[in-house]
Amino acid sequence: MKQYPTSTEVDFIVIGSGAAGGIMAKQLSMAGFSVVVLEQGGWGKYGREQDYNKDEWLQRNLSDDDRLMSDPSRQRNTFRRNDKEKAVAGNHSYGCVVGGGTVTYGGSSWRHLPYEFNELTHDKTIPSGTGMADWPISYEELEPYYTQAEWEMGISGQRVSSPFVAPMTKDYPVPPVPLKSSGALFKTASSKLGLTVVPGPLAIITKPYMGRAACVNCGICSGYGCQVRARSSSAVTVLPVAEKTGRCEIRVKSYVREISVDSSGKVTGVVYFDAQKREVRQRAKNVVLSANAGESARLLLMSKSAQFPDGLANSSGVVGKYVMFGHGSSASGLFEHPLNEYKGVISGAGIVDYVPSDPKRGFYGGGRMTARGYLTPLELGLEGLSPDAPRWGAGYKKALREEANHRMTITNFVTQLPLETNRVDLDPDAKDEWGLPAMRITSSAHPDDRKNMEFFRQKAIEVLQAAGAKKIWAPPIGESRGGAHNRGTCRMGNDPKTSVVDKYHKAHDVPNLYIVDGSNLVTGGRNHPTMTIQALAYRAAERIVRDAKNGIRRSSA
Amino acid sequence: MSTKGKSRRSFLAESVGGLNAAWVLANYPGILAAQEKVQKAAKGGKLPQLTYFTEAQAAEIEAVAAQIIPTDETPGAREAHCVYFIDRALSSFARRSQPVYTQGLVDLQAKTQELYPNAAKFSALTGEQQIKVLTAIEKTPFFNTVRTHTVIGFFSRPVHGGNQGKVGFQLIAYNDSLNHKAPFGYYDAQLQSTGKA
Repeated sequence: MKQYPTSTEVDFIVIGSGAAGGIMAKQLSMAGFSVVVLEQGGWGKYGREQDYNKDEWLQRNLSDDDRLMSDPSRQRNTFRRNDKEKAVAGNHSYGCVVGGGTVTYGGSSWRHLPYEFNELTHDKTIPSGTGMADWPISYEELEPYYTQAEWEMGISGQRVSSPFVAPMTKDYPVPPVPLKSSGALFKTASSKLGLTVVPGPLAIITKPYMGRAACVNCGICSGYGCQVRARSSSAVTVLPVAEKTGRCEIRVKSYVREISVDSSGKVTGVVYFDAQKREVRQRAKNVVLSANAGESARLLLMSKSAQFPDGLANSSGVVGKYVMFGHGSSASGLFEHPLNEYKGVISGAGIVDYVPSDPKRGFYGGGRMTARGYLTPLELGLEGLSPDAPRWGAGYKKALREEANHRMTITNFVTQLPLETNRVDLDPDAKDEWGLPAMRITSSAHPDDRKNMEFFRQKAIEVLQAAGAKKIWAPPIGESRGGAHNRGTCRMGNDPKTSVVDKYHKAHDVPNLYIVDGSNLVTGGRNHPTMTIQALAYRAAERIVRDAKNGIRRSSA
Repeated sequence: MSTKGKSRRSFLAESVGGLNAAWVLANYPGILAAQEKVQKAAKGGKLPQLTYFTEAQAAEIEAVAAQIIPTDETPGAREAHCVYFIDRALSSFARRSQPVYTQGLVDLQAKTQELYPNAAKFSALTGEQQIKVLTAIEKTPFFNTVRTHTVIGFFSRPVHGGNQGKVGFQLIAYNDSLNHKAPFGYYDAQLQSTGKA
């Protein structure tokens, strides 16, 4: 692999190697630019994916070197519901390895729907006083890049014509995963209730594609690396291509603490800690920040200077605000016959009829119901039985025998209103393992979000009843306190006073800084953000390449 | 993520009462050595050597584990060798649970004598009596720790010392081949064969 001396001024530094960073690295290096990718995690099993273990007990106790997710005891973070509370230790965690969250995610690859780009204008159910805003781009503008992402990454799915699913100009490159028993039960319920079941689009290939093998339905899936390279992560798709150009260096265990600027306010490079926690400077003509919504915002806020006293690219004061971690609810049921949901992918079919908001419900909100029920042996044994099942003894053993493989869970992924008061910033007291200010998360759900989660909880119960469940339970709704679906902290917009980047991801305040990741999402969609992040990355890369080649410094907007 | 919120990793990390990655890192060679021992012993048809418990302590913990997942017409924690999984855990990655066991064994003896003054030890009680004692302590950190470790031993891969003969997997009809083909369950099979849900 290409290695650049840190004294070399490379064309681009890309911070982060996940859903967006991987694509940026590939597109920029393919276009002829020199690129250094700084990844805070390690290699994982990059290039030798067959070594990913499927041992539940070992996987949950990995050494720091083998970890695939950040560790809240090292990448410390704090949480509070509102400004009046004192933040307490949080458990926010995200992908932290070459390939980022795409190495371990369930793979859901839903597109945003056309109206999710301008809901504020068109949806009369949105309450006043929220941070809901229209995007500066339309679905039509992004559509070609969704297609590009689906074909370059390798997404399985079925193109359907439905008002509840984003329209596509091209089929998925590979067919959907097989319908599981939970999906069959979705169909049973839907035929009674008049609902629409669609296979979930997944970043898991069902046929050999671009030199990778098809999924073998091993069932030890989300949270684990894929040992047959069927999960279309950045680590097995775009990053190897970037490396092959001979112009892209992936530098692991590189924890960036500052994006540096000169006296004119232009970015000059970054400062990061290497594996031994030594400070290293890397110079660059341009920086692309793709660290994920939470970490990108934190890094900007930590990058204070005389020119940017409130943090880099933050003249608007918007950096960190409008964070969305994702809302949901669920219900589970037991059925007469075995479903064996432990086989195959985690996220099966979807019911999509409640995707749009509906004024008749009396609140803003929509979402997607997904058929699940995936429990590994340890999950089943420790906490996976129905709530009133005995925890030990003959009754426990009987429940294990009866409930194992007979359970289905409906997990709802629903809207979240962006709120200015929901944000990530720098904790005034807590520090991470590198001595940097810990990420402080302040987040509460809007009352409409809570009503929506409850609406979906009830719908899930209805669906399970219609499917013939013998026993049903549904935990009370809760609120998210962090997690990999983080979005919204550096929103895209035309007005530099109310947004952080322009419609091509260039920071309004900084001519050679681009922010490309979930932080740019103005609205959260129906929760699953990865496909939209990937489409945005392809679109951003096209423009950034063109600008860099022309040597043109665009004006804002 | 959703309200389910916690990652699957933190879910387990919490359920095992804080056995953390650092411990495994520090004790990784120990884990591997323990695995080798278990495999050798299994091949030779002999019981593995205890590394942490005395024989007497192991008998008490095994009796507790055997009430958590009892033996009936199918094997339970005893046949799965959960006590050997726990023994190895306590001398490697679960070392910091040692005090819980040390104190727990003392308390178990005390509770046994309180309820059954003539009994020598917990493992000497009848099954019914043992259940009475455990019911009295089922909210204690000791019981919950043994419960967690027993369940983990029962359902982890046999290489870790428990789940011998994959009796845990058999109880829950779990096929550990890591390679499956549709149809997976009854309902998708039915849909496939009849075309009707």
